[in-house]
Amino acid sequence: MGYRPRLAKRMLFNRRGSLIGAVLAVTIGILVIHVNFVIFQGLYDAIVRDIGDYRTGDIIITDEDSFITRSDLAVTSWFERNPSVEAVTPRLSASAEINITKGGQLIEETRVPIVGVDPYRDIRASTVHTTVSEGSYVFARNSVVLGTNVARDLGGAAVGDSVKIMIVDRWGEEQVRRLVVSGITSSPGGQGFDYTVVMHIDTLRDMMAREGETGSFMVKMADKGQSAAVRDLFLRSFPGDDFVAETIEEASEEQLQGFRSGIAMINMIGYFGMMSSAFAIVTIQMMIVNGKTREIGILRALGARRRDVLVIFIMQGMLIGAIGAGVGTTAGLSYTFYAKETKMSFNNSLPLEVSYNWTKILQTALTSFALAVVASLYPSYRATKLVPVEAMRAV
Amino acid sequence: MGDIVLRARGVTKSYGQDETRVTALRGASFDIRRGEFVLVVGASGSGKTTLLNMIGLLSSPTSGRVIIEGVDTTRLGSSGMAAFRNRRLGFVAQFANLLVDLTILENVMLPRQIAGGSWARGGRPRRDALELLRSVGLEAQAAQRANKVSGGQAQRAAIARGLINRPSIVLADEPTGNLDSVSSESVVRLMKDTAKRLNQTFVVVTHDKEYFGEVDRVITVSDGRVYEEEEDGQRAPGPGGRQGGAAAAATATVAPTTARQRGVLP
Ligand SMILES: Nc1ncnc2c1ncn2[C@@H]1O[C@H](COP(=O)(O)OP(=O)(O)OP(=O)(O)O)[C@@H](O)[C@H]1O
Ligand SMILES: [Mg+2]
Repeated sequence: MGYRPRLAKRMLFNRRGSLIGAVLAVTIGILVIHVNFVIFQGLYDAIVRDIGDYRTGDIIITDEDSFITRSDLAVTSWFERNPSVEAVTPRLSASAEINITKGGQLIEETRVPIVGVDPYRDIRASTVHTTVSEGSYVFARNSVVLGTNVARDLGGAAVGDSVKIMIVDRWGEEQVRRLVVSGITSSPGGQGFDYTVVMHIDTLRDMMAREGETGSFMVKMADKGQSAAVRDLFLRSFPGDDFVAETIEEASEEQLQGFRSGIAMINMIGYFGMMSSAFAIVTIQMMIVNGKTREIGILRALGARRRDVLVIFIMQGMLIGAIGAGVGTTAGLSYTFYAKETKMSFNNSLPLEVSYNWTKILQTALTSFALAVVASLYPSYRATKLVPVEAMRAV
Repeated sequence: MGDIVLRARGVTKSYGQDETRVTALRGASFDIRRGEFVLVVGASGSGKTTLLNMIGLLSSPTSGRVIIEGVDTTRLGSSGMAAFRNRRLGFVAQFANLLVDLTILENVMLPRQIAGGSWARGGRPRRDALELLRSVGLEAQAAQRANKVSGGQAQRAAIARGLINRPSIVLADEPTGNLDSVSSESVVRLMKDTAKRLNQTFVVVTHDKEYFGEVDRVITVSDGRVYEEEEDGQRAPGPGGRQGGAAAAATATVAPTTARQRGVLP
């Protein structure tokens, strides 16, 4: 090690306050980015996860005319033959009027969303059944699962109660069925079926007078990387139908667009935070340079060139950047690890989908390192302006 | 006395511009021979430090030339001057000579490091530095941080550092100015012994001439002008060494008596 790195290091390390201040500035800059990522990307990914798990799967098949008339067996067996597909399930939606008699009083709710499911396939392609907190998922043609908010609006409907459901069929006729509540579903985050009633798809088809028709197919992939390929293959295999096939990203684009720009803005704020840590480095290094006027003069008197002085303080910036990036990344990863292991959530809401984005982690560390080096340029330049006569100055 | 190590010719230094212009040194011309021990004396503000800065290449003269070891240093660029200072000159200031972040040993080795040497254990720079520290009586303090030693020890370390690259001249500006009399005497003794032992040229600015006893030469600076002073207190204007006698000069502009009346002399 030459004298320049040695001085760069000692001038920093012998001033504990400066060292801690500068490193902390970089650390906090990085930590903010990591925490932002864990929380906001975690929320985003959690929402995407729930949309996929509850509503769309990895691919969602619909029809240009609202209803798919091809038999669900034809579609499901086509998908089930593909090794990169894990499961596929048909769904059908409608809107209903529901009433219940509670303690001799009739309580009515209108325009309640209804989802019809195939119980045997649904539990493989979706995780909605895991959100049933009381009772059990739809298991028979006459059972329904109420979203927790629907149950509440119906005056506290509970498992075992019977509800009357009215749907207007395709011919404009009112169809009424009396069904038994088999379960109540509730899930945090707003993507679940808390405001929905889930029933057997065949019952719903019957009520809607749409025998054999389907609203959509949710496809769960075993290999998510193949989503787009499978989608394309599907569309090519059914050229005569008016199928619409979208991956989850495509299907939820509209819903997530706003969220994504929010994340971009928060990231920008994070990077501004990083920049302010660069200002902290400038200040701290200027303090060091100003405190070392005499010693820099001595160095110059002893034969160090301007360039050497420049190098000393840039090396110091690199040192600050490297230590800060190391400490900051470690702190950020610790937080990420903690968030992941504890399945962190806010106010008992949606648990974050925490992931390690190594590219971003590396990028953040390198950015803050580079920023520290850039921040050191000005103090380094100022140091080169100190003249050798400072060495001999008497006061 | 040996060959001429340094020639100053008409060295002038002004600070500031126009009304605020101060001419701190006016046409200083003199020679210094190898092995000479030269004292520079004069009243406060007379231009002693300025003179040292000029011949130490710490700053460039407004006009005139400084020739060291036959090299006209006024033609060197900033890097060339730095290299020249590193190899040819040693510096000792009045105080705060050392880099406090380094140990005493590292401070002494520093000019070698700047010249591209290594810190290596058992390496030449380290051996030379330890040898010098032994000769200035600081062997025991080698590993101490520079801010942990006394003022006298720091000056001794600075002298050792000034010697490590075997410079042509060691320049010292009031090296005893901040020391008590005991430390002052030992620092002066160290410089004089070193000068004799190594035939090392020293140019020392001082207000404490009496500590130095017999020296080869005394240069007096008065109001920016340089005079030779003989041992008997008589002054002769430069240039030329002491052996040239009083008469050699062409640049004298102030009569010795005038200077004396101003109380420049001790
Ligand atoms: N950087 C500077 N800018 C302006 N004037 C200066 C500067 N350095 C020195 N001077 C002026 O030049 C003159 C000579 O100063 P110098 O420091 O050489 O005196 P000195 O003999 O070393 O004094 P002292 O014994 O107090 O150290 C003084 O009038 C001083 O005010
Ligand atoms: Mg002075």
